[in-house]
Amino acid sequence: MNFSRLDWTVLVLTLLLIIVYGVYRSRTSKNLEGYLLSDRQMPWWLVLLSIMGTQASAITFLTVPGQAYSDGMRFVQYYFGLPFAMVVVCIMFVPIFHRLKVFTAYEYLEQRFDVKTRLLTSFLFLLSRGISTGVSILAPSIVLHSMLGWDIASTNLFMGGLLIIYTVSGGAKAVAYTQQLQLIIIYAAMFLAAWWAVKMLPAGIGFSDALHIGGKSGKLNVITSGFTDKGFDWKDRYNIWSGVIGGFFLALSYFGTDQSQVGRYLTARSEGESKLGLLMNGLVKVPLQFGILLIGVLLFAFYQFNNTPAFFNLAQEQTLRKSANASEFATAELKYKQVQDEKRKTVVALGNALHANNETEIDQLRTQLQQQQAQTQQVHDSISNIVKKTIPGSDGNDTNYVFLRFVGDFLPNGLVGLIIAIIFLASWSSIAAALHALASCTMIDFHKRFTKKAATPLQEYRWSQAYVLIWGIFSVIVALFSYNLGNSLVEAVNILGSWFYGTILGIFLVALYLKRVGGHAVFTGAIIAEIIVIGVYYLDFLSFLWLNLVGAVAVVIFSFIVQVIFCRAKRGKTTPEVLWQSRKV
Amino acid sequence: MSTTDNDQAPVFKKWRHWYWLVIGFLLVLVVLFYCFTKHFA
Repeated sequence: MNFSRLDWTVLVLTLLLIIVYGVYRSRTSKNLEGYLLSDRQMPWWLVLLSIMGTQASAITFLTVPGQAYSDGMRFVQYYFGLPFAMVVVCIMFVPIFHRLKVFTAYEYLEQRFDVKTRLLTSFLFLLSRGISTGVSILAPSIVLHSMLGWDIASTNLFMGGLLIIYTVSGGAKAVAYTQQLQLIIIYAAMFLAAWWAVKMLPAGIGFSDALHIGGKSGKLNVITSGFTDKGFDWKDRYNIWSGVIGGFFLALSYFGTDQSQVGRYLTARSEGESKLGLLMNGLVKVPLQFGILLIGVLLFAFYQFNNTPAFFNLAQEQTLRKSANASEFATAELKYKQVQDEKRKTVVALGNALHANNETEIDQLRTQLQQQQAQTQQVHDSISNIVKKTIPGSDGNDTNYVFLRFVGDFLPNGLVGLIIAIIFLASWSSIAAALHALASCTMIDFHKRFTKKAATPLQEYRWSQAYVLIWGIFSVIVALFSYNLGNSLVEAVNILGSWFYGTILGIFLVALYLKRVGGHAVFTGAIIAEIIVIGVYYLDFLSFLWLNLVGAVAVVIFSFIVQVIFCRAKRGKTTPEVLWQSRKV
Repeated sequence: MSTTDNDQAPVFKKWRHWYWLVIGFLLVLVVLFYCFTKHFA
């Protein structure tokens, strides 16, 4: 990929703008309330942007268009459970966290159960979030390494290192204000990229035609049922049922019990502002995700009229050309080009039939296009197999590289720099919030909980800064040492989350609804549930989205059983203060 | 800094109305997506 001087200028200026703005907005009270919760003074719209910025990582913007390109838009169903989860979080979690004035979600668990349940939950969060933050640094670094040839270690250091400057200095306030600016730049750049893809379509082919081409090739499969001739496919990852049910439990756990999100809406100046920020997220998330996926469909339409790379990962493609399997690759590439050329003729004919409104011809061409699409996929699979056997550790998946290959090959100088900048900004946006959450839990759930000597507010503030720094260094180290990840990056992070989210959610559900269950029972139930979740994952008969449901239900059931059989004498703390929850809706 | 416990729902009288708006909007989106899928397929 050609990275011009203008691109470098745009990249450096954009990153500098964020760092300077972050440091400028970092003035805050030098105590825990100020550093960890922005003095609880944030308006709802800043809470909304912070929630969105925390959720949307670089992985989201890099791989989601590629996901639509290869698998269609059905991935959007993954977010269908989110609006329901926002409502439940507003009813169940927000009132409790605000009334108890907690710093972390897990503080509540000690008040409701005991210290070991609080520590177990906080530890599960630190473990999963600590590792996934490292992956969040590594994932975009791998892509930049492949597309621009940048050294991966330096990119990791650059990716994880710079954001530490404003995150350490400004805490929650700097995180929220930079996320606001980052999101504006990110969405503006993504819109420009989409507009450019449409602009570069051949004369006479417009936005609507591009959608018809995508639709007739099976890429606009926004709603899918998951049912096949053999009944419901439990291993089908994205359909309306796994999205609504599995996605609901994932989002409920993420927004209700994951400190990187809880820490965002606890910064709101009132309970109402927290709720409004969350509900607005429930309104805008699905349409925004739909928009990002639509970019992938536009790229698909664009590539029907232009030469499509046989393999989108540029670095691996170049390795293949120099390998012992170069001739095999060249043969497959030629076959791929022939199939694409045939398909192009069908697409052009389809465009003409659409303009002539000739329904009979459209039907014929649709069938022909789908057959050619299947043929293209077959040749692409054979190329993936050549990649897998040639490059050790490669999974032969080039989904993550579709969008960036388009950017590098077709976007003008300057816009390429801006797109690379948004990879950094999106990474920083989610990583800064994660580091802040990791530091909050370490400080509040472990350091402050177990330090006997009283510290001054300034000392606590300095300790919190130190923990952000330590977690930042830890994440960069994880990124440096976990280079070979395999599979799609976005799914790898989600799968890791699904291992623990269900269990954590189950603990909170027991806390809120099973008043008779105490600390020992829920602790034992959580351990059993975690073993079951990991077992189910390795037995591989369910898609990973269902693991959230399995974990949550297993904790509830086993906590109840253990309580009834072994812990009748010891019950949970049922004081009104800790069990209180708002039923006023 | 003190935290205000202002839990008054803006625009609507009750939070319940906001909740129905969020769920209702999702249902409308699902219907629109379904029509979108059918139309362009």
